[in-house]
Amino acid sequence: MILDDQEPLEPEIRDAARSYHEPPPVPRDEVWARIEARRAGRRSQKSGAPDAGVRRVRFLVWAAGIAALLALGVGIGRLSVRPGATGGAGRAPVATTAVPVVSAPAAGTPGRDAAAYRLATAEHLGQAEAFLTLFRASVREGRQERLASATARQLLATNRLLLDSPAATDPRLRFLLQDLELVLAQIAQLAPEGRSEDLKLITDGLEQDGMMVRLRSAVPAGTAGTYRQGAL
Amino acid sequence: MDDRLLIARVQAGDASAERELYDAHVERVYRLVYRIAGDADQAQDYTQETFIRTFDRLGEFRGDAALGTWICSIAVSVALNGLRRGKRLRTREVALDEAGTAAVAERASEPDLRDRLAQAIDDLPEGYRVVFLMHDVEGYTHEEIGRTLGVQTGTSKAQLSRARAKLRRSLAAFHPRTTP
Repeated sequence: MILDDQEPLEPEIRDAARSYHEPPPVPRDEVWARIEARRAGRRSQKSGAPDAGVRRVRFLVWAAGIAALLALGVGIGRLSVRPGATGGAGRAPVATTAVPVVSAPAAGTPGRDAAAYRLATAEHLGQAEAFLTLFRASVREGRQERLASATARQLLATNRLLLDSPAATDPRLRFLLQDLELVLAQIAQLAPEGRSEDLKLITDGLEQDGMMVRLRSAVPAGTAGTYRQGAL
Repeated sequence: MDDRLLIARVQAGDASAERELYDAHVERVYRLVYRIAGDADQAQDYTQETFIRTFDRLGEFRGDAALGTWICSIAVSVALNGLRRGKRLRTREVALDEAGTAAVAERASEPDLRDRLAQAIDDLPEGYRVVFLMHDVEGYTHEEIGRTLGVQTGTSKAQLSRARAKLRRSLAAFHPRTTP
């Protein structure tokens, strides 16, 4: 497959594609009537507020967990790129298929920059994996985590920075980051009052895409283990 | 039409403004969710849900993107979640007979191509399928797709490229020269 191939499809295929699920005329009034009826029904049966106390506790638990995760990530990152460190091969999180091994480069060299990007990518993927693992677990237990969207947005921002960085020159890593971007974007766009079934559907999608397996195989074992030990 | 003014009127409880907003965007929303779902009942359900959520969350609209793009992002989310919930796409019952009667004799193979293409599109991973439908079928730009799906333009381009490559492979029998 050629990634940069932006060549349009052949005209016959393009024409045929336009007949795929070709929409009929829009039933404007019919749909509008249904919208009005449903909104009117909701207005008439507006009930009390949900249990705000429980939600607040959950929010704080999530916040504490994510803060610990991020602090761990930053700490590990700083330790790993400490000036003067020779970057022993056993410590550096580089022994994966998606994040190729590099020898310890001298400070200020392009090789050192590349290693820093790889390290940042490994940390990000570790955080994403930990987040998605927690997310899946919370959905499985039937909880609705209100902080999930905010965390997903933070990870999404990092993901975008990495996609624009030299770290994404590795095609496999780029694919993974792009697919991860879609998942994080879905979670980020969840409504605060997102229904548990919507959350579960996202986690089902995660499994279908094999995202967790791909993340685990891309995250250096040592780093991921540290994240999990610290987070859970 | 000034989106901000319209939104302000809706938030102030102006019922005619709600209908104006609906009329301005329903065509695009319905077409998009129909392309994704392929079923009139589901498309109506998703369109209805999209506008209910739009009115509920109008206060969250920050104006970073066009109002239409924001509404479409809700529509895509509603449609994809709805489809996953249903665990199935519409059973493929393409109206090939109708297409066949309109087609000239020389294009007798076209229904096969359409059927095969439809199956190939159904088989695309969800992300690829949505990007392909939005770009190659409905004519959205990568910038619009990026804002709608909340992804980078480059991601949209990459997903489209992969979708096309998969479709070409699936249709190699029809177009051997297109095999990547």
